[in-house]
Amino acid sequence: MMYEHFDNAVKGIKEKLNNDPEGINARKKYVLELSRLGRKLYSKDETIAWCGVTAPFDLLSAMGVTSCFVEFVGAMLASTQTAGYFFEEAEDSGFATDSCAYHRAVMGAVLKNAMPKPDFIIGTSSPCTAGLAIVENFAHQYKKDFFVLNVPQNYTKDAIKFLAAQVEEMTLFVSDHTQRPLSMEKLGMALENFNRSSQLLKDIYDLAKTKPSPVDNRLLRDFGVVMPLLMGTKAGVDICQAFKDELNHRIATGWHHVSKEKTRLMWIQNRIQHPFPMDEMLDDLGAKIVVDELNNVTWEPMDPDNPFESIAKRMISIPFSMDTSERIRLMQNLAQDYQIDGAINPCHWGCRQGTGARGLISKGMQDINVPVLNLEIDCVDSRNLSKGQIETRVEAFMEMLS
Amino acid sequence: MNKKIGFTCAYTPVPLIEAAGFSPYRVFPDTKAPDQAGHLLHDNLCPHVKKVLDRALADDLPELEGMVFINSCDTMRRLADAWKQARPDDKIILIDLPSGTDILSLDFLSKEYERLSTTLFKWNNETSSPEIISGRIKEKISLWNIVADLVKKTEEKMSQDFFPGYASGLQQIINTAATESTDHALAMAQNKLEPEQPAKPGLSPVFVFGNLLFDPKVYDLFEDWNMHVTGTDFCTSSRFVTHVDTGLDDNIFRSLAISYLKQTPCARTMDTAMPGSIAQRIVERAKKSNAKGVIGFTLKFCDPYLARVPMIRQALQKESIPFLMLEGDCTTGSMGQQQTRIEAFTEMLEV
Repeated sequence: MMYEHFDNAVKGIKEKLNNDPEGINARKKYVLELSRLGRKLYSKDETIAWCGVTAPFDLLSAMGVTSCFVEFVGAMLASTQTAGYFFEEAEDSGFATDSCAYHRAVMGAVLKNAMPKPDFIIGTSSPCTAGLAIVENFAHQYKKDFFVLNVPQNYTKDAIKFLAAQVEEMTLFVSDHTQRPLSMEKLGMALENFNRSSQLLKDIYDLAKTKPSPVDNRLLRDFGVVMPLLMGTKAGVDICQAFKDELNHRIATGWHHVSKEKTRLMWIQNRIQHPFPMDEMLDDLGAKIVVDELNNVTWEPMDPDNPFESIAKRMISIPFSMDTSERIRLMQNLAQDYQIDGAINPCHWGCRQGTGARGLISKGMQDINVPVLNLEIDCVDSRNLSKGQIETRVEAFMEMLS
Repeated sequence: MNKKIGFTCAYTPVPLIEAAGFSPYRVFPDTKAPDQAGHLLHDNLCPHVKKVLDRALADDLPELEGMVFINSCDTMRRLADAWKQARPDDKIILIDLPSGTDILSLDFLSKEYERLSTTLFKWNNETSSPEIISGRIKEKISLWNIVADLVKKTEEKMSQDFFPGYASGLQQIINTAATESTDHALAMAQNKLEPEQPAKPGLSPVFVFGNLLFDPKVYDLFEDWNMHVTGTDFCTSSRFVTHVDTGLDDNIFRSLAISYLKQTPCARTMDTAMPGSIAQRIVERAKKSNAKGVIGFTLKFCDPYLARVPMIRQALQKESIPFLMLEGDCTTGSMGQQQTRIEAFTEMLEV
């Protein structure tokens, strides 16, 4: 069923792109590539690894492994409104309703046999304890080998050395399962693609800072979290280029001047994944999300001569790996660079890692005079959604900002 | 009297604190301080962390020279973050704790424990040679190990017969080791090893596990509710009093790392070679302690435990061991709400 879903998506988007050969269509190209990834995951012909969010997907891709973080599937199930069925399965099996719904949805899918069976599993201790616990459940359920990358919180020489050694050891674990050794040439190419994508991401984010911004409320949603799945590939570079072209085109044609931008906003952490009309609501209120917290390049270019250390540094540099004061510092920089008027923090129910810092984030942003709207919402499970309350709070916040 | 070092996690080696000339003070979530932690963090965090933070915010703490945090889970990480806001003048250190028990993790944790030791000595303005430091740590470990062994013996006795008040007495010894000193705990353990009352038959033997159950009164309540606690697996029970094998490595910090990472682990620590091994371990411990049933007691919103409960339930079902899962908030008040369920469970075990 899922293979057909992704296959149909690939065919449908390709047809649309073929009908518009001159168009830039960055978002369509991006969704096409993600659908291709989905199709590969469900094709049964690939070496599959289910992973934690911060796994080195460029390295895995260089080793011929089709990999994805499990929360991606949770988000997909929510966006296609099929998550409810899987929540019930997980909850009936004893997974607490207070837990993160990304994980509950995907665990339900595992229990319902709706997930592709992996060849092995790679957990990461960042971003969250719950994510690592869920992939341990995957390994237990599928009876597959399990490798964990411990991402230290302290950015010290010892910590980098520790993580780099683990990444290197992971390549041996992968080789054991694929019977293919790591090709340094392929890794070099993957890192080259990663570096080119990273540079393009920086360009994209710089363009998004323009006032008024050429982005809209949908264009770059969840971009920084999902793009690492593709960044080690040529397709990843092409997608980044398409987004850069799209923003340049919008600026060149003056699109950004005609778009409504009464209020410039930052969206903290991930967007709402179920079909809640937040983007439309903000459109109507003239509010524009000019930056998502995770649309940020926090790492130095990868060094092909020192690949494991580079990857380790990158993994530790991700805001969720660090302590909250560092995360807040990065947010404050974004707030100033993008000249935002306010920020929305969807406090995803069940997230101890991100939402757990709610009060500290509000205070950190207040320190630079940026008001924060904390929305108590489950970004994945819409069963207890109070749409009216959320709408009222968003409207009141926008009124206050204006 | 020694100055105190606060800590919150069972992976904090008390002998390191004592070797540096401090007394340990485990900050238990035991407070009447107003509920304010949600303002700095979020309300859906585990009550352990929230209550500890409430204590910090309300200054419901003894004078502390510093705080040791371990990034054992997301909520503990957030506690360390919030502590800086709540008590900006406190000295704090956060130790990175790997989740696996492989060689790389052991090497890394040994360096982290060494960093902890160096920091503690610095906080006490002490400069000693590595040999002297190592000697002092070994000395403190020897004492600690005596307590650990006595605790183990007491637990073994508990698994064989029911002695009224014995389980709560054991908890008092462990709490003393956590909040006063190993010396005091040792004196107490030596006095309490022999049960004060004769063995009494008739109660239902139950193994209890989870994250935090530190109040000795809870164990008395269990007895009132017809339950003979045959063994426990909590980070506030015997799991906290880890026996440290100093012969494992020439480097004392590596010996500590091996002993702590390979002790009966918290749910957050895993053996990647055996995913879900926590479930099997609980089955084995329950059987070994002669329990007829198992009660899981975890704090609400504790991801490491809650995510593993389905695996544990499945493993216990496979062995036909009855299982009751309870969630609470660290207080005896919330335990009172569980009375009916516990009584019904123990009654069922008698049938």
